[in-house]
Amino acid sequence: MKFAIALFASPHSPAARRALRFAEATLAGGHEIVRLFFYQDGVHSASANVVAAQDEPDVAAEWSRFVSANRLDGVVCIAAGLRRGVLDEGEAQRYRRPAANLAAGWELSGLGQLHEAAQQADRLVCFGGH
Amino acid sequence: MATLHLLSHSPFADDRLASCLPLLGADDALLLSGDAVYALHANTRQRQALEKLPETVALFALEEDVRARALEALPARVTLVDYPGFVELSCRYERVNSWL
Amino acid sequence: MARSMLVISRQAPWSGPSAREALDIVLAGGAFELPLGLLFLDDGVFQLAAAQQPAQLEQKDLTANLQALPLFGVESLYAARRSLAERGLDEQALPLSVEVLDDIGLSALINRYDHVITI
Repeated sequence: MKFAIALFASPHSPAARRALRFAEATLAGGHEIVRLFFYQDGVHSASANVVAAQDEPDVAAEWSRFVSANRLDGVVCIAAGLRRGVLDEGEAQRYRRPAANLAAGWELSGLGQLHEAAQQADRLVCFGGH
Repeated sequence: MATLHLLSHSPFADDRLASCLPLLGADDALLLSGDAVYALHANTRQRQALEKLPETVALFALEEDVRARALEALPARVTLVDYPGFVELSCRYERVNSWL
Repeated sequence: MARSMLVISRQAPWSGPSAREALDIVLAGGAFELPLGLLFLDDGVFQLAAAQQPAQLEQKDLTANLQALPLFGVESLYAARRSLAERGLDEQALPLSVEVLDDIGLSALINRYDHVITI
C-alpha cells in the first residue's frame, strides 16, 4: 500500500518519535512511502540545529538518516518553515539570514506537495499533538 | 467505508476524546496513543465512555504507551498493537483521522 | 479520479497559526481543483462568528479568506451543530454559507472522503 505520512509536531514531542517508528514499520512491512511532509511545528524536525541531550533520543537526526538511507521524498512546507526559522541556503540568502539549517534529505516546497502526495497515496497518516 | 480515529492527547486535559466519541460510526475504530491511553484508566468517566461504545466500534491502544504508563486491568474490549499492528490497522480501515 | 480530502478545523481563529495553516491546506488544494471539504468543529466554529476585528490583535483577517473559499473552488463547507450550540453561536446568523450537520451527519461526512486531516 502507498502511504503519505505528515508530521505536525515538534521533534521533542512524542508524536515525532511515533511518526518515525510508524514510518519505519510501513517500509518494514513492504509498503511504500510516497512522501513525508512536515508541516506546522513538524518543520523543526527537519532542522540540522536541533541538539538532543546525550542520554535522549535525537529524533530530528534519526529522521534525517531515515529519509537519506531510504531515499525518501522528504518535503518541508516552505511557508511553515520560514515562519519557524527552518531555511535552506536559497531562503537564507533571499531573506538575508545568517545561516541555513535544513537537514540533509529534506527539501523546502509548497503545500501543493502535500496534496500531490495525497493524490498518490492510498492512506494519508498524520501525526501531531502529544 | 470506515475510519480509524487516532487520539494522542490526555482525555483529562483536553476535549478531543469527548469530541470524537459522538462522531464514531458503527464500523469506525479508535486507536489510543500517547497520553490518550489514560482514557483506559480504571474508575474514570473516560473509561466508562469507552466501555459504552457500541460493540461494533473496535478499540485499540498502542502497547508501548500502555506499558510505559503501567496501566493495568484494561477493558476486555481493547486490543493492544505494536507499530506493525498500527500499520496493519491503517491499511484495514479506509482512512486514518488523526486528531492533531 | 482525484482523491478527496476533508480538512477539519478545530482551532479558534486568533490563538496562533493553526487555524490559518488549516485554511492554507484547503486553499492550496483548491488551487489544484481537488475535491475538498472544510468542516468547522469544536473551537473552529469561532472562525464563523460575525464582525470579528483581527486588526485589534495585529492579525490578518482570516474570515475574509473564508469568504473567498468559493472563489477557490471550495464550496463544501460544513459546521458541527453541537459545537455551534455549545458555544452559543446561532447557526442562522453565520456570515458564511455552511451546511450545519449533527453527529450522525458528521460521521457520514468523514466516511465520504478519501483522506481526512483534523487540525
